[in-house]
Amino acid sequence: MNEKAYYGQYGGQFVSESLMNTLDEIDKAFEEAIRDPEFIKEYHYYLKQYVGRETPLYLAERLSKKYGTKIYLKREDLNHTGAHKINNVIGQILLAKRMGKKKIIAETGAGQHGVATATGCALFDMECTVFMGKEDVKRQALNVMRMEMLGAKVVSVESGSNTLKDATNEAIRTWAKTAEDTFYIIGSAIGPYPYPKMVKEFQAVISREAKKQHMEAEGKLPDVVMACVGGGSNSIGMFADFIDEPEVELIGIEAAGKGVDTEEHAASMSKGKPGVLHGTRSYLLQDEDGNIKLAHSISAGLDYPGVGPEHAYLHDTGRAKYVPITDSEAMDALMELTQTEGIIPAIESAHAVAYAFKKAKEMTPDQSMIICLSGRGDKDVNTISDYLAGKGYLN
Amino acid sequence: MNRIESHLKKLKDNNEKAFITYITAGLPDMDITAGIIKAQEKTDIIELGIPFSDPIADGPVIQQASYEAILNGATLNKTFELMKKLRAEGVDKPIVFMLYYNTIAGCGTDKFVKRCREAGVDGLIVPDLPYEEQGELKEALKGDDTTILIQLVSPISGDRIPMILKDARGFVYCVSSMGVTGQAADFHKEVMDYLTYVKEQSDIPVMMGFGIRTAQDVKPMKDIIDGAIVGSHFITLMKESGYDLKVAGQYSYEFKEQLNRL
Repeated sequence: MNEKAYYGQYGGQFVSESLMNTLDEIDKAFEEAIRDPEFIKEYHYYLKQYVGRETPLYLAERLSKKYGTKIYLKREDLNHTGAHKINNVIGQILLAKRMGKKKIIAETGAGQHGVATATGCALFDMECTVFMGKEDVKRQALNVMRMEMLGAKVVSVESGSNTLKDATNEAIRTWAKTAEDTFYIIGSAIGPYPYPKMVKEFQAVISREAKKQHMEAEGKLPDVVMACVGGGSNSIGMFADFIDEPEVELIGIEAAGKGVDTEEHAASMSKGKPGVLHGTRSYLLQDEDGNIKLAHSISAGLDYPGVGPEHAYLHDTGRAKYVPITDSEAMDALMELTQTEGIIPAIESAHAVAYAFKKAKEMTPDQSMIICLSGRGDKDVNTISDYLAGKGYLN
Repeated sequence: MNRIESHLKKLKDNNEKAFITYITAGLPDMDITAGIIKAQEKTDIIELGIPFSDPIADGPVIQQASYEAILNGATLNKTFELMKKLRAEGVDKPIVFMLYYNTIAGCGTDKFVKRCREAGVDGLIVPDLPYEEQGELKEALKGDDTTILIQLVSPISGDRIPMILKDARGFVYCVSSMGVTGQAADFHKEVMDYLTYVKEQSDIPVMMGFGIRTAQDVKPMKDIIDGAIVGSHFITLMKESGYDLKVAGQYSYEFKEQLNRL
């Protein structure tokens, strides 16, 4: 057992033997890179000049007034490509470049990570292949077009449930055959070690900025920090710099779909049990035979049957709390944020907003919270319009 | 002595190579699976794949087989029942489970191992459980030879190979192409060097798997390897023949014959 690959009993490297040397090479290159001032300088250069960081920590005035506590929004929706995903892509693609890889592969569900990866590949002149479930290709046609415009090849995956988990399976299979010249950019805080660590490292910029910004605005740490959790990339980035600040309450918001007591949700920590998928041990939605169940959420980005291993660990140790929010609660919060602050959030991020409204009721006017607004809602307008028209939703 | 190990010793004494096939349990149902196992008189070892929802180490043929088997109601429980039935009927052939780690974890490692021993499962191949993650399973397998863990190595395992082979049991499963089952066999020099290296390092028989269709496919390395494994091609053969047991028997007979006349 490789101790450093674990977060308590979670994590590890559950991949085929043919990937073990590859993971070891990535681990070494990554550890070297993050200690190399030149690498870090380049990473921050692109985050500033290309992505548009730092993103604002915005005090949502009307909401704060309405709920009687200070509500800050960390505006990851203002990043280039519309979400936090690009932070990690820039980091991993610079690492791929440093390792001499010329080809990039990625998996995508809603298409956000795929678009961010295709963007990075256009910028750094890499050959890009994105694996996407056949069902997602159909329902996210606009993002497929964006990726193709950016020069990526989008592979429609037809196996199993034809969604994100199957696209991830196919990306891992392709990687196992092509690892010599190909780098796999995982977008979520999942996968075999060192991926969960890399994703956290490259998303930690969210909390580093937010902590400093909050300190400047309030002269203290926030009382509560919250973010939505699918695989858990924006949330681990939002938590990273606060994990060792015990007075800051950390809350992750899972997608409860139509309710955690139905069969249609994506609440892997509320309702799942530990198991192994996509190279890591963590909480999973699974049946009694260990087969993975389909997740359901109105938000494609949270529609995943597992969660990153560090979240599983933070859950078990009690350092972070994970709570479910249903589709309809998220949609109500999305509309409320849109109409009170003029910000249309991604449906993923709206889950965090929904819980924030609940949480605010037990807080005081001199307390404050930070919500990670992980992405903007432009990509969701079709889903939102179908939902508002009462047609249910595509996901 | 473990059933796989005693059978392979017999083959070695007779200067014979081993022929191993893979089928997915419950494809198209458990009765036909039993029939396919029994029909292959000349096959030395059967790999029985336990269908899993997310088979990341398998190519399209086995993925599809796994998916169909699950839709047809295949489960781990039913596979254990099949094993017990076969053993009760006197089927003495070594049978190895090929399965993903979550199937074991879902059952609970200790309980799973106990059930394997009771059902006469001779070995386990777990393609997503590399050496570093095998501790818990090895601990559970300790102290009883009935069920053993089979090790896999790949062409890019390189300096990991001596470590993996140190306490390996039964046989070594060599992946011939890079990583995923069912890819076209590509027997270039590197593959020959790799097999030679594994053979040099190994105290136990070395089997080559992934991408083999006929005995002729392994002719170039006949002096290195101790046997051949056919997976995807055998499943395709079964499906295309409408699960004709005669076809299974014939294939087993011909492959084994040719394998020993290469």
